[in-house]
Amino acid sequence: MIASAATFPWWAWPLLLFATAFLLGIVAVIGGIGGGVLFVPIVGGLFPFHLDFVRGAGLLLALCGSLAAAPAMLRGGLASLRLAMPLALAGSVTAILGAYLGLALPTRVVQGALGISVLLIALLMWKTRHAAPEATPAIDRWAAALGLRGSYHDPALGHDVAWAARRVPAGLAAFAGIGLVGGLFGLGAGWANVPALNLLMGVPLKLAVGTSGLSISIINTSAAWVYLNEGALLPILHVPSILGVMVGARVGVRLLKRMHADTARRIVIAILVVAGARALSQGLGY
Amino acid sequence: MDPREHSILEEQRIYARWLAAGILIGFSSLVASFFIYLFGLMPPGIPPETLPRYWSLPVHEYVALTGAPTGWSWLRRLGESDLLNFAGVAVLGTTTLVCYLRLVPVLAKARARILLFICLAEIVVLAVAASGVAFSTH
Repeated sequence: MIASAATFPWWAWPLLLFATAFLLGIVAVIGGIGGGVLFVPIVGGLFPFHLDFVRGAGLLLALCGSLAAAPAMLRGGLASLRLAMPLALAGSVTAILGAYLGLALPTRVVQGALGISVLLIALLMWKTRHAAPEATPAIDRWAAALGLRGSYHDPALGHDVAWAARRVPAGLAAFAGIGLVGGLFGLGAGWANVPALNLLMGVPLKLAVGTSGLSISIINTSAAWVYLNEGALLPILHVPSILGVMVGARVGVRLLKRMHADTARRIVIAILVVAGARALSQGLGY
Repeated sequence: MDPREHSILEEQRIYARWLAAGILIGFSSLVASFFIYLFGLMPPGIPPETLPRYWSLPVHEYVALTGAPTGWSWLRRLGESDLLNFAGVAVLGTTTLVCYLRLVPVLAKARARILLFICLAEIVVLAVAASGVAFSTH
């Protein structure tokens, strides 16, 4: 922990949170993940706030980030509402269950499970860093019935890219699992949504990133209501964090152009391993 | 109109428009109410200088000791600057629900039955979450 609550005057904490969230916002963008997944283990481990409030802030932070990006992604065709709707429904139901479960379980149990989850996320990011989806995905009957196909314009390629989803039942199951973890730990879920959409369902990476953000905006809304209704939100914690991550993300976008993506990803994985190990050790009582 | 927008479905354009409006209202309220709280422009429910005594407690103890509101009871205490901030969170939380409600006639007109069913189911899920009636832990 940076210090106990008594070390600094109360007004220093929002400033420290803003500064921490600003750095996390930069790292999150250059590492290609949402800020929530870094925020909860790091702020939960280093700051004096109880994990209940940190998880609530983490959810709001991921919610605001995804909401802010969603309209432009939708207008530009880089997110698909039709694709997000069924997946977000599966995730919303389980995110609510996860949020209630997280608030009902003993803190040590949640902290230890958070540590294990963050270490597994780091492992997933490491394993999938060079993975690519199959070249010619075959649309399944679920995707055909739901109209989960289309095209979007890729400005980098200079032409339209056709896409079609496959393995929809597996995708629904994946989003249900991701929603549960997101609600339970207050994490954004881009770290899992993007591989699920891209590698499992065969959606092109750019559309997967946009649709993941849109899905998070829907899924986290349902879980955020639970935290609000249970009184687990502290404005002094969530507002400076949201502002810090958003400003940091803007700086991160500029740095991204100058930094090698693989280097950034390695840095994020290293941070996740340290944060996950710390949360796990706290959960074990060390 | 951007020439590539022709391929973007009608429901997606409407959803984006309503979402952008909701975010603007919700985010502005969230930030403005926080600075009202921070600079003491309105009386707070829990003064910020006393918060460090409570913020390391589990939420159930925090609620019991401070009388912080659960459910929608913050609505009756909007004169307290820290709870005014909850209004911004609630607007952000309601935005997706409103966007889905706006999709209902669009999907019905397009006869997209499965998507309409999914849309209605999501409305129910979000409404249950917002109501707080599901399984309150207090």
